[in-house]
Amino acid sequence: MTTLEVKDLHVAIDNQEILKGVNLVMKTGEVHAIMGPNGTGKSTLSQVIMGHPAYRITSGEIYFDGQNLADMAVDARARAGLFLAMQYPAEIQGVTNIEFMRAAINARRPEDDPISVMDFIKKLDEKSAILSMPEEMSARYLNEGFSGGEKKRNEILQLLMIEPKIAILDEIDSGLDIDALKVVARGVNEMKSPDFGVLMITHYQRLLDYIVPDFVHVMMDGRIVKTGGPQLAKKLEAEGYAGLRDELGLDIVLTDENVDAGL
Amino acid sequence: MTKYQKQDISLTAAQQLPLPNFPKVKYASWHLDQLMPVQKAISNAHFLTAEDVGIEILGTQAGHQYLPQELINAGVLVMSIQAAKKDYPQLVQRYLSSVIPADQDRLSAQNLLQYNAGIFVYIPDNVVIQSLLQLVLVQNATTTGDAVQRILIYVGKNAQCTILQQLRTMGEATIKSSTVIEVFLDAGANVQYSAIDALSANTSGYLNRSALLADNAQLNWAQAEFNRGNMVMHLDTMLSGQGAQTHANVMAMVSQKQVQGINTRVSNRGRHTIGHILQRGVILDHAALVFNGVGNIIKGAKGADAQQESRILMLSKKARGDANPLLLIDESDVTAGHAASVGRMNAAQLYYLMSRGLCEKVARRLVIRGFMGPILAQIPHQVVRESIIEDIERQLKDAHQ
Ligand SMILES: Nc1ncnc2c1ncn2[C@@H]1O[C@H](COP(=O)(O)OP(=O)(O)OP(=O)(O)O)[C@@H](O)[C@H]1O
Ligand SMILES: [Mg+2]
Repeated sequence: MTTLEVKDLHVAIDNQEILKGVNLVMKTGEVHAIMGPNGTGKSTLSQVIMGHPAYRITSGEIYFDGQNLADMAVDARARAGLFLAMQYPAEIQGVTNIEFMRAAINARRPEDDPISVMDFIKKLDEKSAILSMPEEMSARYLNEGFSGGEKKRNEILQLLMIEPKIAILDEIDSGLDIDALKVVARGVNEMKSPDFGVLMITHYQRLLDYIVPDFVHVMMDGRIVKTGGPQLAKKLEAEGYAGLRDELGLDIVLTDENVDAGL
Repeated sequence: MTKYQKQDISLTAAQQLPLPNFPKVKYASWHLDQLMPVQKAISNAHFLTAEDVGIEILGTQAGHQYLPQELINAGVLVMSIQAAKKDYPQLVQRYLSSVIPADQDRLSAQNLLQYNAGIFVYIPDNVVIQSLLQLVLVQNATTTGDAVQRILIYVGKNAQCTILQQLRTMGEATIKSSTVIEVFLDAGANVQYSAIDALSANTSGYLNRSALLADNAQLNWAQAEFNRGNMVMHLDTMLSGQGAQTHANVMAMVSQKQVQGINTRVSNRGRHTIGHILQRGVILDHAALVFNGVGNIIKGAKGADAQQESRILMLSKKARGDANPLLLIDESDVTAGHAASVGRMNAAQLYYLMSRGLCEKVARRLVIRGFMGPILAQIPHQVVRESIIEDIERQLKDAHQ
């Protein structure tokens, strides 16, 4: 069993505090979801766990299987079993998806024992089929010219190919049409096992109908303010974040409060 | 043809001509105008093998040479320039100096007077060559003696071909190199011209690759500069006829202590001509790279389009890079634009790759490849692309970073 533990994490960027004491524990075999208003630090949390160089941890720790991540570079974290499907994945022209995924797999193997071309292609075909991705996609340059939805699918393809222990999926559902959402959910569900844990950041309860979480966390103003079961997401959908805030007696200004849809 | 008449010139007159101008590159101390053109034949080097269509010149001798029968029947000529002078003197005479005037500058003029090796290609009107045509010049640096070589290519009306031309060194001796390449595209000709220049660290040299395009001719250059020594280079395209088009794609990688200056110029002379320059340069270690991009629209070239984009990636604090765009426009009814930048490694791309477990070294290599991506994407032949990627990888491995 692998554990990811975030302890009283404070993070700043340009001297502005964004995470203000996040606590979170998750284990393999579990499905977690984080919801929360725009700009409350969800992506920041995921990037800090992965090790993005732009963010500064001012206090607190992150442990992966008891090991302090502060001592590990981004690539070492990945090889230890962490994965982040990014909200905005980078595009790289000149490097094909195939080549990149092979390099990623081989980075986890001894240098003198790279995956054979046959095994690799077989696995790639199998995983692409789960995601209904045409073969040609992998021959294209990494994310280059991919539509929003295709990029998301490609992130999940990498997840299936790399098979990490713990994955964070940042808004993997945004920009997907209804059918694509089901396909992507199928991909994630395919990974489910006692040896795999997933943390999904999402704005929409709909995703959680397809990938049912064990825990739902609500993040506001740089903290996790409430944790519950799948019902919590349904309740948020019905009552909005202001309702929860008032119920918890929090002193937070929500940017989009009191806006009616103008219908 | 009278318009491009060759001028005769003497060695003394050549010495009086000015050195070609490479802004921001000081190269007078390389003494590229003092050549000792002695090259021995090499017998053991091979960049081409059995079925490769084309010719390989080893030192001064033709090595591998192969042309399928149907191309021979169609009147295609691919041979050493000496053989061509002997067997087809009028053809050589007609096109030699038709693109680069004999008195253009000291270094080209000296090449014209002193070259002792090279290649002649003649593709008659309407001939379409499907196979990749390979032209390889191997410079012999197993002993001292400078390499002075020339390539002359004529592509007839509506003829088409894809060329891969390489410049390579065998041996470690310190030599100088002078290479002048003239490409003449007659009306409606269409050529994909990829070049890999990979001369040794102990070679300093001058390279002038120039083309002249008649009406509606189209030339796509992809020039990969992987030379390890000090080089000054011209890539010069004259869009003479109306509707002529060129894409001048250049990638360069410099490392250790080398200096490279690259002038890439497109002149729009004909109406509705299109010239696009796209350049990517990577600098490692202490090296220096200068891109001088010139878009020159000549008076009367109504409807011409001149665009250029040059980007340099600096991978060490000691690297020196310069991208100078220049637009010289002498006509009002035209479109033109330029972009240039000198920057460092794309951090977002590096992070993304490393977040999948790639170690920094491999990730950096891929990001650098990605930076070259826009040029690689312009290269139609997979074989050529892969060969260029191999060269990139090799140089990155060798550099100190
Ligand atoms: N690199 C950065 N530079 C400057 N500000 C940043 C940076 N990254 C995050 N921030 C700021 O930190 C705050 C939290 O951003 P973050 O992306 O973590 O929010 P989020 O919860 O993921 O929002 P969303 O739901 O809109 O994706 C925002 O105010 C954002 O502008
Ligand atoms: Mg976000």
